[in-house]
Amino acid sequence: MSRSAVPAVSLAAVLDRADVWRGAALAGAPLPGVPSGFAELDAELPGGGWPRGGLVELLPARTGVGELSLLLPALARLSADELAWLVCVAPPYPLYAPALQAGGVALARLLLASAPGRDAAWACLRALEADGVGAVVAWLPEVTPTLLRRLQLAAEASRTLLFVFRPAACARESSPAPLRLALDGEGERLAVRVLKRRGGACSAPLSIAVSRPFSPRRALARPASAAPAARSPAQPTAA
Amino acid sequence: MRLAAAWALLPELAVRERAAAAERVALLRLACWAGAFTSEVCLRPQGLLLEVAASLRLFGGAARLFDAIRAGCVEQGFSPQAALAPTPLAAEWLAAAGDDRPCLDPAELRQRLNVLPLSVLDLPSADLSRLEGFGVRTLGDALRLPRAGLARRLGAAFAVDLSRALGERHDPRERFSFPERFAERIELPARVDSASALGFVGRRLIGALCGWLAARCAGVGECVFELQHERGASERPPTRIVLGFSGATRDPERIGRVLLERLQRVELPAAVESVWLCADMPEPLGGREGSLFGRAVGGAADASSLAALVERLQARLGRESVYALACVAEHRPENASQPVPPVLTSARGGVSAPPGGPRPVCLLPLPQTLSEADGRPQRGGPLQLLAGPERIESGWWDAAEPGAAGDVRRDYFVALSPRAEWLWIFRCEAGWFLHGFFA
Repeated sequence: MSRSAVPAVSLAAVLDRADVWRGAALAGAPLPGVPSGFAELDAELPGGGWPRGGLVELLPARTGVGELSLLLPALARLSADELAWLVCVAPPYPLYAPALQAGGVALARLLLASAPGRDAAWACLRALEADGVGAVVAWLPEVTPTLLRRLQLAAEASRTLLFVFRPAACARESSPAPLRLALDGEGERLAVRVLKRRGGACSAPLSIAVSRPFSPRRALARPASAAPAARSPAQPTAA
Repeated sequence: MRLAAAWALLPELAVRERAAAAERVALLRLACWAGAFTSEVCLRPQGLLLEVAASLRLFGGAARLFDAIRAGCVEQGFSPQAALAPTPLAAEWLAAAGDDRPCLDPAELRQRLNVLPLSVLDLPSADLSRLEGFGVRTLGDALRLPRAGLARRLGAAFAVDLSRALGERHDPRERFSFPERFAERIELPARVDSASALGFVGRRLIGALCGWLAARCAGVGECVFELQHERGASERPPTRIVLGFSGATRDPERIGRVLLERLQRVELPAAVESVWLCADMPEPLGGREGSLFGRAVGGAADASSLAALVERLQARLGRESVYALACVAEHRPENASQPVPPVLTSARGGVSAPPGGPRPVCLLPLPQTLSEADGRPQRGGPLQLLAGPERIESGWWDAAEPGAAGDVRRDYFVALSPRAEWLWIFRCEAGWFLHGFFA
């Protein structure tokens, strides 16, 4: 009798579900992703972009490899085109307004919160609950797996993008995040290793051309290695 | 029954004296709270009358409104005996008889009233015994009698009451006038030592405040909770908790959330006996317009949700820890980016011209010294200078001010470290410094 209570489901219907995927194929996503601005990266992300409704864990090797430049196109798109708010929680260094503005972020819809310790994760949870927030970017070096799990659940319940920066050493630990990326500099490009994603594994690191403050096409007029010798400011060049 | 007889029957009976003044205070608070449902509130010695005909549509029908009012009364800490009827007297009588089925149809009213006992009428006992002498047992018996005869025997007022209850005569009532400023108090039933346990009292007071605000079409930008400590040998001044909001509000959820955040951080010097909530300066706040096709996208709803987020974060993290950024037209990098209080209403104006050279996403608050070897700055090995120099200098005008950047004379370079860090460094007379990351 109890068997008849279960509705008959065909295998094809099960395979069509967004949370079921075959080992070899890239998973679909319940919501279309936010284009990251880098076609090579979008092709490897389930949903074709940064996934809404999921925690994205970013593990940069060091500060300054270009970890924020990877996010800037998507953040700019959310803030300038979709008029959504961006919330940055506990940045380790003050973010610099002119650079963000030059990157296309609408400063009028940017909110920053400096929160120590456990308060940072709490602030993320509150930001995920609020309407009108497009993305939450948080630096959580000391977050516990329990809190990370709560963040993931909160992200699933909202449409907000959630990026969490953690130290590269965390790559060895397990994490509830459905998408984990390790970032390292590679000359002028950014090497992105997909540690974890829904769908088949991606073994080869991606090489992403993030925007850099310098490109070899506009080289220095003078070899920069020939630094000023004396302890006096360098002569301004007419480059 | 006399008290002695009651005690003889039930020795463990607890007896309390009726506190008329406390009843009145509680009723006044409930009248304020009822402002959330209707502005026509009438204060009676035994209860409240709410004229809800104009509110039926807003709250989704009589049954839902009635349920919401009763549930709200329970939340306020009362066990209500309520009734819904087309005339105020009928509602009072039905409530006194404990008949809480809503009666909306005037035609049905007479049958509902017929079965009520005479005790609901609040008549002097002499009149009651006279009525019983006529053979009148229920209200229906009284309604059947000719009014002229009743008026001659029991006074005109009784006959008028009967016709008012049936809606045959008008029944004007005096409206409760909502006070100019809100200051309500709840005495705690027992001493409370921990601040977080005060949340439930706070919610009741906030409910009353929001009802009062709704009746006045106003909102508060600030309200004050005052926790009064127990009177004794060492009387302590009351603890004040000031709740500030980024804009006028009368959303009980929003006020309650901010209160809870604050309560978690309050250290009580002594046990609390009573809680006051005062709001002195209500600001005009219009109603919310519902849209025809569900919830409107973006706009005001987003702004209020964001305002609530900002308030919650500020309540826990501190006012200065939640901020926005603004560009300032200033050549020294330290001054070009300034934290400003978050503004949620309109976009900030003033787009400054982009700086000449590349600027890092993260700027160190204080430049870090870099070591130098063979004339080249080091950070995990020699740095490769890729772009620059960009000369930034001068600033003598604030050199004497504490905390200001002062007079600078720097040559900035974009540098790449052997560990693939993209850095913004400068050289000045004191040597090489790291100033930012192109993160």
